[in-house]
Amino acid sequence: MAVFIFALLGIVLPLSENKNNISIFKYLPNIKLGLDIQGGSSLEYSMAIPEGARAEEIVNNVIAVLRRRLDSAGYTEAVVSEVVVGGERRVRVEIPGISDTRRAEELIGSKGKLYFAEVIETIESSTPPQITRNRKVKVDGKEIDLYSYVRDSRNPNVWYRVKNVFEFGTEPFQITGLDVTDARASLNPQGGGFVVNLSFSSQGKNKFELATANLIGKQIAIILDDEVIIAPVVRDKISEGRAEISGIESVQEAQNIAVLIKSGNLPVDLIKFQENTIGPTLGRDVVTTIVNAGIIGLVIVMVYMIIFYGWMGFVADIALLYNTLLLLGVLSWSGAILTLPGLAGIILTFGTTVDGNVIIYERIKEEIRVGRPPLTAIKFGFDKVFSTILDANITTVLAGIVLYFLTSGSIRGFAVTLIIGVLGSMFTNLVVTRVILEGSSNMIKPEKYLKGIVVGKGGNE
Amino acid sequence: MPNLNIVGKRKIFIYLSLAFIIFCVIVIFVKGFNFGVDFSGGSEIVISTQETYTIDQLRDALQKIDPSYATAKIVSAKPSDEEITKNFYVITVKDSFPSSQIKDEFINSLSTYLQSSDLEVEQFNDVSGYAAKEIRSFAWYAIIATLAVLLIYITIRFQFSFAIGAILALAHDVIVTLGFYSLFGIEMNLMAIAAFLTLVGYSLNNTIVVYDRIRENRAKSRATPIEEVMNQSINDVLVRCLHTSITTFIVVFLMLLMGGRSIASFAFGLTMGVVVGTYSSIFIASPIVIPMMKDKKKGTKKSSSKSR
Repeated sequence: MAVFIFALLGIVLPLSENKNNISIFKYLPNIKLGLDIQGGSSLEYSMAIPEGARAEEIVNNVIAVLRRRLDSAGYTEAVVSEVVVGGERRVRVEIPGISDTRRAEELIGSKGKLYFAEVIETIESSTPPQITRNRKVKVDGKEIDLYSYVRDSRNPNVWYRVKNVFEFGTEPFQITGLDVTDARASLNPQGGGFVVNLSFSSQGKNKFELATANLIGKQIAIILDDEVIIAPVVRDKISEGRAEISGIESVQEAQNIAVLIKSGNLPVDLIKFQENTIGPTLGRDVVTTIVNAGIIGLVIVMVYMIIFYGWMGFVADIALLYNTLLLLGVLSWSGAILTLPGLAGIILTFGTTVDGNVIIYERIKEEIRVGRPPLTAIKFGFDKVFSTILDANITTVLAGIVLYFLTSGSIRGFAVTLIIGVLGSMFTNLVVTRVILEGSSNMIKPEKYLKGIVVGKGGNE
Repeated sequence: MPNLNIVGKRKIFIYLSLAFIIFCVIVIFVKGFNFGVDFSGGSEIVISTQETYTIDQLRDALQKIDPSYATAKIVSAKPSDEEITKNFYVITVKDSFPSSQIKDEFINSLSTYLQSSDLEVEQFNDVSGYAAKEIRSFAWYAIIATLAVLLIYITIRFQFSFAIGAILALAHDVIVTLGFYSLFGIEMNLMAIAAFLTLVGYSLNNTIVVYDRIRENRAKSRATPIEEVMNQSINDVLVRCLHTSITTFIVVFLMLLMGGRSIASFAFGLTMGVVVGTYSSIFIASPIVIPMMKDKKKGTKKSSSKSR
């Protein structure tokens, strides 16, 4: 009884602000619905982690960067998580309630690597030009190619030969996104288009001052994700630690660039692995049909049990409802996510609960047939079925656990409801049903089961 | 209490099942599977619009975008919720859309060619070929891992020959159900894999109930020949097996009938699984253990294999 009230509280209490407005879930506000039910987008990316690298660190870094990007772009409900399947690490981004994934995908997919470089020359070519003489320069312990060709972001036939490292002052240095403390998109005050304003850290400010002082009259390219966004000519030494990326056509693009720069660059490339996007209409439709199928199934099974087992069948029906509520209660309390396959798992739980009851009742009937009074029959019956129910259900739970660890996403939701449901049905059958039956043993009519028995069969114990 | 001679006629059932398995394997080889995007890679796109199109109109439009889309799979799906007045169409193409630009272009050209003003993407599942390959290998892991865990558990709780019997019965269920997926062209996807694992759990549950009875009845009278003990045990639990299977069948069959497309490959597996699983638990799982137990008795008489 206590368990029951506890479960019921989980369902009814307003634990969260969360509102569900699909089908029956209107009345179950505490159950978290998966994206396949409420609609939304799930994007999964694999990472090109270099061999020998600290995978753990890289993944955490990727998650942190994506988190920042999505937050700054307003996707505050997005969930970024690591997925490990078959030893491979991936990141998954789940964004509820959107079906236009374009902007989110652009934000996630960009590496966000920003740096400044001196432009040596600009050439036109339809194929990537080759650097003939190059050398490596050591900056902060890393070997960097001194020269490279970088394509223009707007004109694919324009290539800039840039010097990636500034060799002014005592040591060679680079100016990258790490030197930027803030990036903001705004309307271009002079002329059209939009700009992104960059503010440098004190170290970045000094570096930028040194670079601009030596490059007056020359071009500095601002390179984001291996494309030159703009390459302005330095008119003066810039010592106040500000720079501006201008010539951006849309406010969206400007905002994206600002977000990418501010949230830092991804340490590895992300490659889209899979995408599942479902609109709210379709999700609602599917759920409605499954819930309807479940309810009709439930009613038929309940009637069936009463027809075959009379009072005991009625008790089984109570157990069935009890276990369903228990399951919903556990889902509410634990914050587990209910997915479409998860719903199917709940419906399947009806089967397991009924099965447990049938096993028990058949035993009780056998005990009654050998002439025991109902109460004793119930006691003996329960004692004997204990190992049956245990073994039968543990195997299902084991299959569920394997499923849980091998899968991710919506199928995992099925494993969750299956495990909770089967464990719940064991408790319901062995404890709840027993208490009710023992308390109401006078409702069982032994004559019903004795009829039609010719000889007292193999009850030779 | 029923008293059927099941164990005595076990050869009939075993040969029947063997014939069935051979039939299913042939079907699988000849007809193959209708793999969903989870397995084959590609994209499954559900679009909705107020307008009504024929499948041919949609195919024409797709072909205008790219001639290779002529082989696209197109299904019209009616929403079951009456409040929704839109038409749904499911389009499956072999391509994956790695960037959002390519995706947008595809949708835009589709709406242009269809001359639709309210075309909306309701669902978009994109699985790159690489992901599909991994899912295939994962499906094997899942099945092998499940079998290994179950083998160990049954060996601990019962004995090894029972574990083998249970696994053989499961293999029977899986192969026959796979055959039906192939025969009816039901889509093989991740949901189908979940269905397979569930049916494994379900069929095993049934088998365990029978084994449990055998364990109990054997403990009562060790002198009775194993055939008799088994037959008695199967008859003891027959009523329970039928009740359980019928109730479960009602539930999953309704899911199959009413659940619609997105749950169909799951519900189909369970519906088939309940029937095949019940059959194998009663007619295959126990009788098949008999020869193994007899061999064991002959071979190692002293180290008698006690079941708990």
